[in-house]
Amino acid sequence: MHRLSATKMLLENAGDLPIVANLGPTSDELWHIAPERHRNFYGYGSMGLCSSMALGMALSTGEKVVSLDGDGSLLMNMGTLATIGREQPRNLIVIVYDNEMWGQTGAQPTHTAFGTDLEQVGRSCNIPKTATVADEEALAMVFRQALDEDGPWLIVAKIEEREYLPVAPVEPEMTLYNFRKTFE
Amino acid sequence: MNWAETIVQSLKDSEISLIAFVPDISIHQVTQLLEEDDYFHVVAATREEEAIGIASGAYAAGRRAAVFMQSSGFGNCINAIASLCIPYRIPLPMFINLRGEVDEFNLAQVTMGRTTRPILDVLGIPHYTYDSDDRLYRRISGTLTLCYASRQPLALCMTPLLHGGKMA
Repeated sequence: MHRLSATKMLLENAGDLPIVANLGPTSDELWHIAPERHRNFYGYGSMGLCSSMALGMALSTGEKVVSLDGDGSLLMNMGTLATIGREQPRNLIVIVYDNEMWGQTGAQPTHTAFGTDLEQVGRSCNIPKTATVADEEALAMVFRQALDEDGPWLIVAKIEEREYLPVAPVEPEMTLYNFRKTFE
Repeated sequence: MNWAETIVQSLKDSEISLIAFVPDISIHQVTQLLEEDDYFHVVAATREEEAIGIASGAYAAGRRAAVFMQSSGFGNCINAIASLCIPYRIPLPMFINLRGEVDEFNLAQVTMGRTTRPILDVLGIPHYTYDSDDRLYRRISGTLTLCYASRQPLALCMTPLLHGGKMA
């Protein structure tokens, strides 16, 4: 499974729901797929905080909120899985694109390449709905289920890395402004 | 109103209803009041930078949020402030209990306590120190107004002269 194609599929299913993307290629690709979509929140820094931000959003809206996180980033802030398990936001869907590497810093293998199972971490943190999927069809199926059923959800999507698209010309201040305006 | 009640009232009057925090005994009095009050949703974070992320996410979705921590925890979240709140212009009031002030007994707390405000200075983040309840409501609610007008993070530093201490 490849991230760009998977994200396209998620967007086709997500309608107008808010989506917050991890920094780097996940945000770049989200922008290339739907640059005019103001319900995209493009991560630009603060590695590790994607799903924490999504948690804050989920606690502030009745809508489902989708986090597109990454393995290296989530490993940096695994405590947020415990906070999600404690808060039990029914409207939060965390998807972790797991390429088992720090893709942008030289493709060094992350801990998930050595046995760390992020789905099991989530289960241990009392996240009730979890899955690990390795192909796009399975991701589509579990994502549609997550849109229909209460969460919180943690879906680990195993991906293979491809060439990166150009960096998205995103202005963080505009991202916040446009995104926030959609909640008014 | 005592100092803790004053902070709670100031938050309400600024319509700040989500609080992300990491516990601290000296400001437990205020975070406990927040937890007991249905107006607020109080989220206990595992680490201070996580609290910054949660509060920033809330603001992005239209809800005003603040964080509470001690100065050691401020050290844990500098990159979150520098690479999230500042570039996205997220107005985030950060209530920080300053360690390393009068009565400090723990050597390990001194350095981060003393360097918190200089670090805020080099980050370009305005900060205000509260060491008495003199005109406290006026000073805190005015600072919160400024925070949202300027759309930038801002620190409200509290010392044992305000909250009485009991450090641990």
